[in-house]
Amino acid sequence: MSNDIKNTVSNEANHIELGKFYFLNNKYDEAVSEFKKVLEINPGNAEAYYNIGLIKESSNQMDEAREMYSKALTVKPDYKIVRVRLNKLIGIKS
Amino acid sequence: MKKKQFAIIGLGTFGYNVAVELVKKDMQVLAIDNDSETVNRISRFVTQALVADATDEKAMEDAGVADCDSVVISIGGNIETSILSTLIVKELGVKNVILKSSSRWHSKVAAKLGVDIVVYPEFEMAKKLVDNIVMPNILEQIELSKDYNLVEVIAPKEIWGKTIKNSGVRNNYGVNIIAMRKRIPIIDDDGQSDIKEEVNMMPGPDDEISQNDILVVIGSVKSLVKLRG
Repeated sequence: MSNDIKNTVSNEANHIELGKFYFLNNKYDEAVSEFKKVLEINPGNAEAYYNIGLIKESSNQMDEAREMYSKALTVKPDYKIVRVRLNKLIGIKS
Repeated sequence: MKKKQFAIIGLGTFGYNVAVELVKKDMQVLAIDNDSETVNRISRFVTQALVADATDEKAMEDAGVADCDSVVISIGGNIETSILSTLIVKELGVKNVILKSSSRWHSKVAAKLGVDIVVYPEFEMAKKLVDNIVMPNILEQIELSKDYNLVEVIAPKEIWGKTIKNSGVRNNYGVNIIAMRKRIPIIDDDGQSDIKEEVNMMPGPDDEISQNDILVVIGSVKSLVKLRG
């Protein structure tokens, strides 16, 4: 693996972990900012969309949460936990 | 304790789901419909499933409808069949008869026949949907009486970071907080983030109301309008 690719992967993973850390500590704005950085590096990162969705849902912003979960599923249709959350949000029993 | 016995007459979407949900609650369910395919489909879920004509008094008697604690009549398409079936069930002496109505007139006739509970799911869902659209920060609403409701509402910004005692919900809004719900961020064993819900069933005066908390409150309709902003 070239160094550039290694750095990109590492940055992406680091931002995800940092985002989760902020989320866990109820620092939602900082968490969203980290997940957005992930999407700037890799717009196809479903986990970042999912995590933003979780933060929006925790903040009672259900329209935005739905949008983020849908984006995560567009990227990764078999993302089970996202399907469960989206179904719950729109009132479908899993 | 003896399990309660229910008969569900008419296995359209509503009746079918009532039957299945009752079984999940460990009730005994007799499911009746005139369509053999539908009866066949539900037979593996319920205690007993029968193909029978709901307007045939003898068939209903033989099916053991009279022995049931409650009967749900959910015949949707044909009001005449629904009414006739209701009459038969009442004459068989069933103690509790619940009817799924499909119109205001259907409900009125049911009331005249002595039906115990009339449900009108389309109307009730439409009302709920409109409430959800018009008042998005009201998540659930239960009408306790004409003037009093119990609602689940997103905590208004003005009381974030305040204790219940200091929030002034009673004085300013005229409502009582009876429970509080929070969504807590978690990371599971696989490192996957998720949220879990925590409910404080007996919030005390010193409990703090956080941003994003959901409050279960009870109050007059007028007070609740003020709270929802």
